[in-house]
Amino acid sequence: MRMANLETFYYDNKIVRNFAIATIIWGIVGMLVGLIAAFQLIFPVLNLGIAEITYGRIRPLHTNAAIFAFVGNGIYMGVYYSLQRLLKARMFSNFLSQFHFWGWQLIIVAAAVTLPLGLTSAKEYAELEWPIDLAIAVVWIAFGINLIGTLIKRRENHLYVAIWFYIATWITITVLHVVNNLEIPVSLWKSYGVFAGVQDALIQWWYGHNAVAFFLTTPYLGLMYYFLPKAANRPVYSYKLSIIHFWALIFIYIWAGPHHLLYTSLPDWAQSLGTVFSIMLIAPSWGGMLNGLLTLRGAWDRVRQDHVLKFMVVAITAYGMATFEGPLLSIKSVNAISHYTDWTIGHVHIGTLGWNGFLTFGILYWLIPRLFQTNIYSQKAANAHFWIGTLGIIFYAIPLYWAGWVQSLMWKQFTPDGFLQYGNFLETVAQVLPMYAIRAVGGTLYLSGAILMAWNLFKTMQVGVFLGDEKQEAPSRQSTHGAHEGEHWHRWIERRPVQMMIFAAIAILIGGIVEIFPMAMIESNVPKIASVKPYTPLELAGRDLYIREGCLGCHSQMIRPFRSETARYGEYSKSGEYIYDRPFLWGSKRTGPDLHREGGKYPDTWHYNHMYDPLSMSPGSIMPAYPWLIRDKLNVDQIPKKIKVLRTLGTPYQEGYEDIALEDLEKQAAGIAQNLKKDGIKDEKLAQREIIAMIAYLQRLGTDIKVKAPAN
Amino acid sequence: MKTKIGIILPLFLIVQLNWLFSQTTQTFPFYDNFLKNGWIFFTSFVVLGGFLALLNLLKVILKMQQIQIYKEMGKEAFEEAETQPISAIFNRWYKNWTKVVPQEKEHEIMFDHQYDGIKELDNSLPPWWVAMFYVTIIFAGAYMVYYHFTDMGVSSQDAYNIEVKEANAEVKAYLATQANKVDENTAIALMDEASLSAAKSLYGVHCVACHGTMGEGGVGPNFTDNYWIHGGDIKSIFKTIKYGVPEKGMISWQAQLNPSDMQKLGSYILSMKGTNPPNGKEPQGIEVK
Repeated sequence: MRMANLETFYYDNKIVRNFAIATIIWGIVGMLVGLIAAFQLIFPVLNLGIAEITYGRIRPLHTNAAIFAFVGNGIYMGVYYSLQRLLKARMFSNFLSQFHFWGWQLIIVAAAVTLPLGLTSAKEYAELEWPIDLAIAVVWIAFGINLIGTLIKRRENHLYVAIWFYIATWITITVLHVVNNLEIPVSLWKSYGVFAGVQDALIQWWYGHNAVAFFLTTPYLGLMYYFLPKAANRPVYSYKLSIIHFWALIFIYIWAGPHHLLYTSLPDWAQSLGTVFSIMLIAPSWGGMLNGLLTLRGAWDRVRQDHVLKFMVVAITAYGMATFEGPLLSIKSVNAISHYTDWTIGHVHIGTLGWNGFLTFGILYWLIPRLFQTNIYSQKAANAHFWIGTLGIIFYAIPLYWAGWVQSLMWKQFTPDGFLQYGNFLETVAQVLPMYAIRAVGGTLYLSGAILMAWNLFKTMQVGVFLGDEKQEAPSRQSTHGAHEGEHWHRWIERRPVQMMIFAAIAILIGGIVEIFPMAMIESNVPKIASVKPYTPLELAGRDLYIREGCLGCHSQMIRPFRSETARYGEYSKSGEYIYDRPFLWGSKRTGPDLHREGGKYPDTWHYNHMYDPLSMSPGSIMPAYPWLIRDKLNVDQIPKKIKVLRTLGTPYQEGYEDIALEDLEKQAAGIAQNLKKDGIKDEKLAQREIIAMIAYLQRLGTDIKVKAPAN
Repeated sequence: MKTKIGIILPLFLIVQLNWLFSQTTQTFPFYDNFLKNGWIFFTSFVVLGGFLALLNLLKVILKMQQIQIYKEMGKEAFEEAETQPISAIFNRWYKNWTKVVPQEKEHEIMFDHQYDGIKELDNSLPPWWVAMFYVTIIFAGAYMVYYHFTDMGVSSQDAYNIEVKEANAEVKAYLATQANKVDENTAIALMDEASLSAAKSLYGVHCVACHGTMGEGGVGPNFTDNYWIHGGDIKSIFKTIKYGVPEKGMISWQAQLNPSDMQKLGSYILSMKGTNPPNGKEPQGIEVK
């Protein structure tokens, strides 16, 4: 081997700083929105009667902000810093870095505007409408080109484990985002998905689960593999463990999506795959935790003093807890208790507040002083943040676990003579409200900690001197052909980023293909029911209002085959009932009761009064009031276009039905308006109000196969 | 950190008990809620502050205790007590299940390569971890075979049918021991104080939304006049409650109320006749004298 020439180049620290600042700001925004939502659950009047800041609309804003704005910017911050140093190269293109940064911030702003306006596709963590979906794809691909370009012009021969995780993240998110957002636009801000009902549910949770896996987990494992050994100044515990847990994790993770759909109308075989792959996921997940914690061997004395390591240790521990609990919740008998309750909310917040939040905080506390060539402004404040944040997590999670258990047990409790002990759903809500209050304490603490950190870091930035382009020298990359005798077999692929990306793609595609193709292709997986008919135009309009208001944030439409559910709600849900549902609206949390058999349960007037003021019909309810539904005129302009798009997608509306759809709509609306008028509701333009469409939809729900109560 | 968490958990119990004891009714109106939850929110902060102060006090006491031990026994004795020897059995067990290379010998398994100063060790996969992985894989295979390739596993639907069948049998057996078998042919009006007051709370939960707090009517008809749409005797009222009038929006209650409760409710409704509350809905149906 000839001696290589030293090359001089500069790391781009500006882009890292920009992403760091975005992480801090969006983190606080996302947490604040979450806290507002938490307070609205105890005090529904806190929406101030404004549609745009009502729970159903800000819940997706909170999740999107926390995941894609806070954690997303955190990923980019860490990746842009570590990638350059691990590859001994500046980022491939300054333009692409800038484009990526500003593009992503614009997407976040677009989300923050459209979600409160009710422009949503109603698919959890993929709520954004199609123009923003396209923008995400463009920016994500720009990030990918920048990543691959840097890999190609690297000066380091082999790729470190952190980069394997970055590569797997990029390719998998690309696949997930594209497939889950296949949709046909009706207008600029409305689209219908290509998949319907149970297929849509499967694909959504294949996406949703793997957004957790490949957005909240794999990139953060990559960050852990860089920042933890750097901060602890210790070697990584086991290279072998890195290899095995990396490949096992990405291969197995992708299969586990159906564990979000246990006991639903998804066929049993797919549910079982979700369960068993979740169980098999324990070891690969813990591989990451072990490699992190064991890297700290010999550095534990410093963990006591170093605030960076403290944050990282709690983060990794929370990761270990959440990844053990996840498989536990995927066991059907446990899921029967946990699903639809606050247990799930507690579980995900151990992951997000603990793992993502604390790792991000640790990285920020390590990174900012280095970028600004100084020490942290206040060590004391950083330590205080650690304790406030830890207490915040505890005060957040424990009440929700408690609430989940209490409520689930109440839902299932029968009296000896065969009646539900708590037949009124509201009784079970009243029982957990105090827990919600304590959760809000936890959220307040956690947010306060984050604000303290922001102050501390901005002070650090003020005191320090920012180094925008960091000078570095390294030899150019040498061909090492023929010099690999006796090396570990995995070293081969570490020299080949393109092959690594291909193998990672194969690993993640297998699980998706095995689960999704049979569901989409084999008809017997969704038995047809002859009496199930497409929605009428008015019901369709009502359904889109249901989506706009985010009703599915609190109400499920999926009755599981349990005696306690059929006694409360009616016949359990069948997959054939959902074939015209675009998107599916099964929901994943019951803050209010299930609505799948709501149709015909109450008179039209009950719904009218209930929407106007839920307390008038359900004293003690925490549902917000929806006076705007009663006040606003239903916009029917898009109905013909919607009918056409749905027919293209396979809903059997007759050719030309779009021309008479509005007549049908008016006829049905007049009927409902007449019912309401009979009960004394006075409004001259009643038939044109949004509430009429909402009532039409609610009264239709689950009635296609509704079994009439036997006469005796 | 561990000890602190150990103290935080009991704290939680205290806060929760606070609430449990203050719990008196099963449903409380909105303003009660507002006060109650606001109260819990703020007391939690107060309790938290007190707890942190206690923690600090504890720390001071421990420090003082330590100094006391130093004084009495000398520093060496204190330090020796701190480092308890770990048993040899545990050591061997630990070694076998972790295969960890001791830190002193770390340099022997350090790879030559480094990335931005990060080095890697060649420690083996922890055997306990490998074992756990194998166990989960075997479990997964067995689970799939049990549920999908043999007749032993029960499908979700069959499990439901079995659950309902068993529950129905249990309920039947229980009812056989109870004198609770009222139906629309045998219902009689119960005008005793106990029945009426039990019925009043049932009415408050299930009926007020449509028929009004005082039976004045609203979405549903007025109970206080002499007019009845589906019959005004106890047996007819019982029947209306039990089966409902779905086409008019009156739901069937037989899945939510037991026959004895329906009988009490029917009696309570009859007792409202002639009370003439304000805002009564106009009469509907046929006059029954």
